[in-house]
Amino acid sequence: MDIPTTMHLKRLFETRLNKAMRLYLDTCARCGLCVDACHVYASMPETKYTPVGRAEVIRKLFKRYFKLQGKFAPWLGETIPFDDIGLDKSYEAAFSCTGCRRCVMHCPFGIDTQQIMGIAKLLLIGVERQPQLLEMLSDMSIAKGQTYLESGENFREALRNLEPEVEALAPTPPGRPTLPIGLEGADIMSVGLSGKHSIIPAAAVMNAAKENWTLSYFEAVNFGAWLGDGTKQQKITQRIVDEAERLGVKEVVVVECGTATRVMKFQSGRHSFKVLSIVELIARYLDQKRIRLLPDTIPGTLTYHDPCQLARNSGVIEEPRRIIAALTRNFVELTPTREDNWCCGGGGGLISLGEEAFRMKSSKVKADQVKAAKAGMICTACENCHTQLSELNTHYGLDMEVQSLTNLVARALARDGAA
Amino acid sequence: MDPQSVTQTTAALAGAAVAATSAASTAAGTVAAVSGATPAVVHTGFSLFMDGLYYFVMVPMVYLAILILAAGIVIKIASIVSAPPPPYSLKTYPARRRPILAAMGDTFGMPVIRKKDPLFWLFLMWFHAGLILLAIGHLDLFPAVNIMDPASRHMVGAGAVGVSVTVPAFYFLLRRFKGQNRHISVPADYLLLLLLIFLFLLGDMISWGNSWTANGFVMTKADFKQYFGILAAFSFADPRTVLQGSHYHFVVLHVFLAELFMMILPFSKIVHTFFSLPLNALRRR
Repeated sequence: MDIPTTMHLKRLFETRLNKAMRLYLDTCARCGLCVDACHVYASMPETKYTPVGRAEVIRKLFKRYFKLQGKFAPWLGETIPFDDIGLDKSYEAAFSCTGCRRCVMHCPFGIDTQQIMGIAKLLLIGVERQPQLLEMLSDMSIAKGQTYLESGENFREALRNLEPEVEALAPTPPGRPTLPIGLEGADIMSVGLSGKHSIIPAAAVMNAAKENWTLSYFEAVNFGAWLGDGTKQQKITQRIVDEAERLGVKEVVVVECGTATRVMKFQSGRHSFKVLSIVELIARYLDQKRIRLLPDTIPGTLTYHDPCQLARNSGVIEEPRRIIAALTRNFVELTPTREDNWCCGGGGGLISLGEEAFRMKSSKVKADQVKAAKAGMICTACENCHTQLSELNTHYGLDMEVQSLTNLVARALARDGAA
Repeated sequence: MDPQSVTQTTAALAGAAVAATSAASTAAGTVAAVSGATPAVVHTGFSLFMDGLYYFVMVPMVYLAILILAAGIVIKIASIVSAPPPPYSLKTYPARRRPILAAMGDTFGMPVIRKKDPLFWLFLMWFHAGLILLAIGHLDLFPAVNIMDPASRHMVGAGAVGVSVTVPAFYFLLRRFKGQNRHISVPADYLLLLLLIFLFLLGDMISWGNSWTANGFVMTKADFKQYFGILAAFSFADPRTVLQGSHYHFVVLHVFLAELFMMILPFSKIVHTFFSLPLNALRRR
């Protein structure tokens, strides 16, 4: 690699050397306790798929360019340079990691491999070796932020076509639009995903609760976060922030997307509104008795997959269980569960990138876990997890129905609304 | 002052003092082994070079190592403190009501390790407790500190402290060759453990010799106390005058390895001594 490129990559690397990163890169004792915390390693036991194996790629670059050891005794830490091999290793490390952060829980120091992989992704962007599909999807999201007013009428027209499906689940409160959009003074702004499956159930639940809500023009998904491009991540988020502030809403509700929830909640700065996930909102409606669910709408046993970004990374752990308790008595936990649940294997942009062969192979441990629960249905609260679980269901012949939690709630809404 | 001059000028003073101390201890009947105080020998050629080297290791290099250790730690901490904070919370859930207490629990109780690998946890706890006692044992060698009876031949733990650090260190080394640990290890991991093992074994030779054999090690705890007295007083006297006998080479090697350890500490993964707590706080806050 030529000197200007090396210097460019070194400067990029340096931009991520914040307090946490310096601690992460300096402190690993290579005790190996994180090794089997990764679902990829548990399914495909190779060193490069261990959290420490991934982090070591970046740590070896760090030692090479930022430590005395790299200058005087590079062999001590087996340092590597910014060359094709080093960048290939960075790619493999970064895009075989779903960013689930299960390894953080299993590390005695709490070293965050997802953060370290953020450096790998940044370096790849620096030499234009990032996945072009994620780049394109990020750019499209940003472009929509600039042109949404022109395409707004088409979107409103599409929404009008969805209204009967929302009505079929829950009647619209008198005097209110079924699918309000751009409504100033609304209490809640709901941010959906592309596709009616994420808009209809959430709308039905909020209408059943007689909520003063509005829909966002934008989709919640943040391809910039998966790409590892902080600037694009921020631009994608900013579209929603600007819209929410313009409408003056009190809360922004993110539908079933773990990454979008975490990015909006924790990575987008301070706002005039509060951010919560649709799962938290539904649990609140149930607590406040603003909605009532018909019991026994779910045949057989139900289990729940905690999405990594929602549970251990955003703290939404009890709320889905409160909702499920209102839906069915035939609930069984996965083992392990809650914050220690196995990642589905679809996060980190892998679903968007396709990567089906890798996703199926690297999630065998997840398939085994789900199979062991012996449930007839599994539900989750993340679009990525839902897609991945559906594909695992087919690939491994798990013979179970995969459902979204919000959809189960919308289907079980009692017509009288409040109890 | 060159080492030879130091040897010559301090021999008469310090040598006499050693003999007096050792003799006093023996008279009290509490020290079984005494250093055979012998007249200082004036060396030439290679032995003169070795004397100079030994003096450098035993006195100036001790201060140098401590200086590098302190400066290294200060620089390391400063580089972290001056770095920008992470742009957002890196907390994991469920949230703890008292995050700092939880981080302290993570750091000092190592519950993750206890759950995942109880044997490893046992050795780690044993090792770290041993390290604390080891530090106390060395502190006891300063003249102003008397944790153990100064007249006692035993150091703190009477040899058991050495076992507490040596046995786990061997376990850690063997563990490095097991399964994935072998693949994730780098040369520095092995070298660091080997350094520790040799350092501990040399220390064991002294403490086990003094506590576990009838005649004791050739140098007594009282002798080491005098050596630490030289260091504490910054007198720059030659330790050879108070640490007499042919086993001096092993003491020098022990001190040298300890100095190496101190000098590499801030630049190696041993910095987890200082960073484990802030790291655990990151995931709890």
